[in-house]
Amino acid sequence: MSGTQSPPEADVEERAGEAEFTGRGLERVEDHRILTGRAEYVHDVAPENCLHMALVRSMHAHADIVDIDVSAALEVPGCEAVLTAEDIKERYNPMPCGLNGFEEWSLADGKVRYVGEPVAAVVATDRYVAEDAVDAVVVDYETRDCVVDPRGALEDDVVVHEEFGSNVADREELVFGDVEGAFEDADRVVESSYSWGRISGVPLETAGVVAQYDDDADSFDIDCNIQLHTLVDDTVYETLGYGPDDVHLNVPADVGGSFGTKIAIHRYCCLAAMASQQLERPVKFVEDRIENLQGGDMHSSEREYEVKLAVDDDGTIRGLDVWFVDDFGAWPRYPVNQVLKPLSVVSNAYDIQDVRYEYELVLTNKTSQTAYRGFGVPSHIYALEMIVEEAARELGMDPDELRRRNLIAPDQMPYELPTKNIYDSGDFPEAFEEIQRIVDEHERCEGGLLDPEVVAAKREEGKYRGVRPTVHIEPGVSGSDWTDRQRSDRAELDDRDRDDVAELPEHLRAEVLADGTVKAYIATDTSGQGHQTLVSQLLADELGVLPSDIEVGYLDSVEAPTEYGTAASRMAVMLSGATAGLGRTLVENLEALAAREWDCGVAEVAYRDGRVERVDTGESLSLADLANRDADGEFVRASYDYEHPASQLEEFDEALSRKFPVYPTAAFAANAPIVEVDAKTGEVDILKFYSLRDCGTQLNPTIVEGQAHGGIAQGVGAALQEEFGYDDAGQPQAITLFDYKLPSIENVPEIKLEHTETPSPFTETGAKGTGEGGMIDGPAAIAASINAALEPLDVTVDQIPFTPNRVRERIRNSSVER
Amino acid sequence: MSTDDTSVPADRPTEEITVTVNGETVTTEVEPRHKLSDFLREHLGLRGVRVGCEHGVCGACTVLMDGDAVKSCLSYAVQADGAELETVEGLADDGSLHPIQQSFHEEHALQCGFCTSGFVMATKELLNENPDPDDEEIREGLADNICRCTGYQNIYEAVNRAADRMEDE
Ligand code: FES
Ligand code: FES
Repeated sequence: MSGTQSPPEADVEERAGEAEFTGRGLERVEDHRILTGRAEYVHDVAPENCLHMALVRSMHAHADIVDIDVSAALEVPGCEAVLTAEDIKERYNPMPCGLNGFEEWSLADGKVRYVGEPVAAVVATDRYVAEDAVDAVVVDYETRDCVVDPRGALEDDVVVHEEFGSNVADREELVFGDVEGAFEDADRVVESSYSWGRISGVPLETAGVVAQYDDDADSFDIDCNIQLHTLVDDTVYETLGYGPDDVHLNVPADVGGSFGTKIAIHRYCCLAAMASQQLERPVKFVEDRIENLQGGDMHSSEREYEVKLAVDDDGTIRGLDVWFVDDFGAWPRYPVNQVLKPLSVVSNAYDIQDVRYEYELVLTNKTSQTAYRGFGVPSHIYALEMIVEEAARELGMDPDELRRRNLIAPDQMPYELPTKNIYDSGDFPEAFEEIQRIVDEHERCEGGLLDPEVVAAKREEGKYRGVRPTVHIEPGVSGSDWTDRQRSDRAELDDRDRDDVAELPEHLRAEVLADGTVKAYIATDTSGQGHQTLVSQLLADELGVLPSDIEVGYLDSVEAPTEYGTAASRMAVMLSGATAGLGRTLVENLEALAAREWDCGVAEVAYRDGRVERVDTGESLSLADLANRDADGEFVRASYDYEHPASQLEEFDEALSRKFPVYPTAAFAANAPIVEVDAKTGEVDILKFYSLRDCGTQLNPTIVEGQAHGGIAQGVGAALQEEFGYDDAGQPQAITLFDYKLPSIENVPEIKLEHTETPSPFTETGAKGTGEGGMIDGPAAIAASINAALEPLDVTVDQIPFTPNRVRERIRNSSVER
Repeated sequence: MSTDDTSVPADRPTEEITVTVNGETVTTEVEPRHKLSDFLREHLGLRGVRVGCEHGVCGACTVLMDGDAVKSCLSYAVQADGAELETVEGLADDGSLHPIQQSFHEEHALQCGFCTSGFVMATKELLNENPDPDDEEIREGLADNICRCTGYQNIYEAVNRAADRMEDE
């Protein structure tokens, strides 16, 4: 098993009476191997005799491929093969696409549609030679005009896919409640435009794959760092033309970050597998950073919004109307796009029942989109918070007052959104008040960052400070079949009923070994969230043993049932539910086994603290004893599938059957980043980031806090500095980490966290999931605080990221004199 | 119409180098264009040396060369000829973690861990030069390394804790 855990830690070795490990900030079992350099990421997988692949990538955004001459490449000593679309089309299938009507091959077929699109795959004895051979491949292109601007793409002057006939890959208008009435009756309608740039997760580890074709079994073993390996395995086996059992996708226990992005790396898996089959040797591909940033299928949502809010003069929000265009890039990426999830939090923390939501998905000559932390929600929350601010300005009302007036009240919980998702629990007004109190107490006082005298003095220097608290929902735990809504016949959706809904439970299995320790297996992949720690910690409580008695491994895509996996902040909820269920099952099994051994009734035995006792005699059998008495493993092996928390609840019927996004947990946060804007340079400095967060029961507070820190850091990057820009010719402007500016230790502020715990009534453990928080709410929160800071200059954040040049430009164009 | 140009090196020369890595001296032949990071990872099997960007921004590949933190992706193996190198593999003593590693562990200063060897080695250099850095000095000392997961706050805590621990030793 890869990913061996650390040696036992002295400080977690005591099972002090009834004290539980759950809820304690146990140190992670994953750390030891990582810290000593013994972790095995996919980059480290190096089978003997392994060949290396490198890709020839398009230098043009839009061009016909006239000819590919591979002869010189094949002359390079050490070059073993060069594959082009022609070669792979003979034998394999196109890759599944995110929408019907498109056919994408693993290598560009006849035409390239974005810079960086793979055109040929070169395989050689090492990566250096492979790159030499890549340089020797001669591709003749006939260039075409390209389309880069998403609004421009709507015009269809240049069409990215002629066969499809339009750049609009999909559009839908969804109306909930009486939107027309709300907009007619309201005292006023406020409207504005906002844009959200192309950003993404950019994990520190790039994509990697090692594929080996097994001639005898006619099957493949593929080590890769793909995310959701049991869900998106069809992208690989279908492309290869094999059955699901013939393609083993194995994700190492250590993956260097994903944040959603690695869902889309199947192309590499397929190409390496094809090459391995042709050459009958293992083939390895490790994406380099330039490939990753330019054409790695790893960019995320890019959106242009037009938003309207219907409000009354007293500040009551009556209706919301959202239109946006989402720039998909060149292909609708599988498995799904990110325009629908915002429906699950369509009004954020506000009580708004009349909502119109319309999107247009357009194709352009840019890298295709993949998922990123928050899955399309961050930009929606940002646009919504900005229009609320705009309404406050137009009403001449304090934005805090406007927000307070419209927050969902605790007695409305569980709260049903017009889009049919449900917020499980929480007190948003209280969180809002508390974050304000914290800021007042610590910063508006003498010596604080917002001490009125300091703020005034800073303003004299051209530095504008401000804060504006906001409350945000973090929808968690996806797990029904809504994600294929756009590939379903929409007319049929209304006729579906609950029995037609496919649910995606979480699988966990375990066995007691002869030495009395327990080995558990997770069915999904991980990328730094501490799943091994979580399972060992929780299962230890269930079985009354120590976490160090439990070793946790992973199953590959064939061993594991097809489950959903690590996404949408699911794992705290789903793994903890699965662990509890598995623990109960094992205990029952072990009691039955002991009863068999003693030839007594099950009622006469009781499991306690790692052993089964016979109630009348006090005899007992340890886990090791029991394992040794169960030769067939009939009792000591167990598995459990934890159902999605919405599965059983009638309340979710309508959303589930109509394939609206169902996220049954509402973690939430009240944020108050304190910002300072330098009006001369346009630079935004976040001086401190206050955040009050609630993710229900905290299973491991240390990990919860780590997720919040990391999420907020990514939110800071998204709000202020990260962006994949393109020029008019479709040339990407950020292809190194010098241009795509990840936040460093110099950019991320001190984060002041407070936690409250409102357990979810819907989940087994009360946990709500917390993986996406700061990225979902950070940008909106930062934007609101910048608005507050720049109020005297009448400048507002209408574009994300709000980079220094954009800030400067807005200030320069402002009509307010400085 | 445009055409990719071609350039193919005819032969592949090698050079002999001698380096001392984590106290052990190795003499071997390498291609002059072989990056030091690849040499350490592939030739010497030191996979704790990670490559995240190969262009000098992320710091995942940071190792100590004659005591100084260097980005091994920006050097060629031949440039390390005669040098003394330290990687994260050289830190733990018979399975017990070095104070810096122990502090990263206790402060949860790693998540995916891909950046971690680089941070640990950069911290080692920092603390060698300045056993008691303040926050500003930590920021400067670690500004060449990127972590995408942790948000850095726990990394500050880890450095502080390591400094205390090393002072006590
Ligand atoms: S890999 Fe060397 S700095 Fe990124
Ligand atoms: S822990 Fe993932 S990049 Fe630092």
